[in-house]
Amino acid sequence: MPKKISVMDIYKLLPKTNCKKCGQPSCMAFAAKLLEKEATVDQCPILNTPKFEENRKKLIELLSPPVKEVWFGNDKRKAVMGGDEVMYRYQLSFFNPTPIGVDISDELSEEEIKSRAKEIENFTFERTGEKLKLDFIVIRNASGDIEKFKKAIEIVEKETDMPICIASLNPEIIKEALKIVKSKVMVYAATKDNLNDMIKVIKELKKEKDVVLVLSSNNVKELKNMAAKCLANGIEDLVLEPYTYPENIAETLDLNVMIRRSAIEKEDKYLGFPILNLPINAYYYALNNDCPISTFFDNKEVVAKMYEATIAGTLLNRYADALIIHGLDIWELMPILTLRQNIYTDPRKPQAVEPGLYPIGNPDENSPVILTTNFSLTFYTVTGDFEKDNVTCWLLVMDTGGKAVDVSVAGGQYNGENAKKLIEETGIADKVNHRIIILPALAASTRGDIEDKTGWTCVVGTRDSSQVGEFLRKNWDRILREWKEKHQK
Amino acid sequence: LDWEPPIEKYTGYIREVQFGKPKSEGGRGKVVKIGGQKALYRFEEPQPNPPVVTFDIFDMPMPGLPKPIRQFFQDVMEDPCEWAKKCVKEFGADMITIHHISTDPKIKDKSPKEAAKLMEDLLQAVDVPFVIGGSGNPQKDPLVLEACAEVSEGDRCLLASANLELDYKKIVDAAMKYDHNVLAWSIMDPNMARDLNRKLIEAGLDPNRIVMDPTTCALGYGIEFSINAMVRLRLNGLKGDELVNMPMSSGTTNAIGAREAWMNNPEWGPREYRLPLWEITTGITMMMCGVDLFMMLNPISVKTLKEIGKALTT
Ligand code: B12
Ligand code: SF4
Repeated sequence: MPKKISVMDIYKLLPKTNCKKCGQPSCMAFAAKLLEKEATVDQCPILNTPKFEENRKKLIELLSPPVKEVWFGNDKRKAVMGGDEVMYRYQLSFFNPTPIGVDISDELSEEEIKSRAKEIENFTFERTGEKLKLDFIVIRNASGDIEKFKKAIEIVEKETDMPICIASLNPEIIKEALKIVKSKVMVYAATKDNLNDMIKVIKELKKEKDVVLVLSSNNVKELKNMAAKCLANGIEDLVLEPYTYPENIAETLDLNVMIRRSAIEKEDKYLGFPILNLPINAYYYALNNDCPISTFFDNKEVVAKMYEATIAGTLLNRYADALIIHGLDIWELMPILTLRQNIYTDPRKPQAVEPGLYPIGNPDENSPVILTTNFSLTFYTVTGDFEKDNVTCWLLVMDTGGKAVDVSVAGGQYNGENAKKLIEETGIADKVNHRIIILPALAASTRGDIEDKTGWTCVVGTRDSSQVGEFLRKNWDRILREWKEKHQK
Repeated sequence: LDWEPPIEKYTGYIREVQFGKPKSEGGRGKVVKIGGQKALYRFEEPQPNPPVVTFDIFDMPMPGLPKPIRQFFQDVMEDPCEWAKKCVKEFGADMITIHHISTDPKIKDKSPKEAAKLMEDLLQAVDVPFVIGGSGNPQKDPLVLEACAEVSEGDRCLLASANLELDYKKIVDAAMKYDHNVLAWSIMDPNMARDLNRKLIEAGLDPNRIVMDPTTCALGYGIEFSINAMVRLRLNGLKGDELVNMPMSSGTTNAIGAREAWMNNPEWGPREYRLPLWEITTGITMMMCGVDLFMMLNPISVKTLKEIGKALTT
């Protein structure tokens, strides 16, 4: 459903040699991959030859998404926004997980700026094998002072590799700042009032290609006209910021939807840019005003962070392509980053890991054998728990088609036949001196089937993998001894 | 350059379902309505009813409720009527969901009659409409729901829930006979939801008495599957598919089962903050997919969702 173009439209522009250099069996197959966004134009080397220069250009134009992909940052780290083709993720997939930026005020001391910048750069929340991180730093000219602003920018660029956004509505200040920044920056923001001056500053410094310019207005028609003016002046990397109203988030959501619909469904090129939203407004709003959470906690800062996370989650669900926040606590960021991870998973691919045998710790012939599934959430939860609890075992990861334990029990993929195949393929029998498999409690009903098909003895373990360490410490020696007594006579 | 707000034309609509009845019609007074939309967004067409939250309560102290929830209800968990009153008086509940979990043969095996007795007491205790839930036991639930439906005749409750694994005909009959609505529960698959609705209607249920529950997976535990299912159901409903144009319900409470919500883990910070945020984020996401009715537990999340829901429809 992405766009109204067909495989044929793409195929027509390809070299039609079927040389397979792109890794696809034919040009037609490559065209299909391009349509589904599973390949990029660069992967066909023939297109890169001068003869196909013209076709290549046309192809890129044809394939460019209705929401432009815009990036800022440096060689080491980029924040990439937009690139979407559809209104709903089930229609294809959403692309480029919303970059999340955190602000630093230039009124902080040098030390504070350094440590906050480092904290933002190093923040990591690990989930299902993915390291979820923050993406950029917003340096706010809260002081109104140009020297302080430049100093803060210098510190952040020196101390971190983070992409940066510089925030001031004063074109003179932006001008001085632009002179010293080294990377491609996002400039926040051009408004109806300062747009001409902003454009002038950027052109004077010849930085049209080195900045991403945020256009800020709560009037969509005005945003459109601002975008048109920028494009006419060669400033093409734009971001739209339709205001974020913490006192009535419905207003912002409406604006986001209207902008995105105009871009995708009405093919309005001037509104085909990423959307930036500011949950940070909700943070400051809740510090000083009542919000739904206010009555439940005495600590205003806790309320502000909870409300900020709430608003961030709301906006992530309605087309926010970039967010700026203030809070840095792990408990606030966990739901935001998890939601982003969930929304941006590709519905076309199963979330699976390679099935097989994974030694955990340093297992030997007396170590337990544990059977789980190859759903990535299950796998990473289990291995994460085992690592934390120093569990040593042979982990058998069964191909359930990327389904969780109870899901694959219900769907029939968690069965004796599959277990037998896995045992044979991994050669686990040669690695241990017993024939015992520990099953998750949720798979207890498959025990008979697995014992019948594999000949191994099944022991039903705990419900949650976080309890496995304790379960083994209490029971494994006994289970192994009893099994040996029974089977090795 | 000019610009027009992108307003779509919809050929369909979402059915409106009513809970409770006014006193003039023999009910207990409070009336709550959900659904009735003619468009996806308020800028296209005024949205008739704000999303509604129904508080989960249990007919016995629920084992394993995490502390961030227990702290609000510790004093009333022994007495479901007091529990219901507290939800209404202190936390502004629009509706109450009573889960008759002690009817489960594996828990206390209470009889449908005993459940019905409690139901009568609850109807006396508060004046808001009820969602009536069983224990999840497919053999017992139809009997429990039937008994409770009888004693709450005319109060337009929501019987939770009908699915293909139990005797749904019994539930359909009870709903039609005693004037109630039915929650149709399917698992994250729009075709399954449609199929179930069709069967319920064939069994005699008035389609205007159906609320769909396409299953809410918690944030981090498959919420993307719920998003896809709910969005597709709502869009198809508005496009005119009369078998899926029912309002939707979400078991948002599922969110507190996520370990990021309940688990004590100093590396993740206080769970007093984490748990409500996990429920809020899960609920907000479902709200953005079109959900009309939210089953929830934590007063903080309830209040937040209600206020945002109100903003979205005014
Ligand atoms: C997301 C989900 C789906 C997704 C699938 C996602 C996926 N890739 O697996 C979709 C939408 C596709 C789906 C489909 C179905 N689902 Co489903 N699904 C769920 C849901 C909401 C969450 C599952 C999950 O992600 N769990 C999280 C992972 C990490 O848990 P886990 O794998 O079990 O691992 C944990 C433990 O088992 C343990 N553990 C793991 N390994 C080991 C090893 C040992 C030795 C030990 C001791 C412990 C251990 O630790 C882990 C961490 O806690 C559950 C309900 C729920 N549980 O909340 C229903 C649920 C599992 N689904 C259910 C059903 C019925 C189905 C379907 C059959 C529906 C249908 N009729 O089509 C299909 C089957 C699909 C198939 N197999 O072909 C039912 C199962 C009921 C039952 N027990 O019979 C459930 C319980 C919902 C319900 N309440 O009815 N489902
Ligand atoms: S590399 Fe290019 S020319 Fe060769 S098969 Fe692939 S698409 Fe066709």
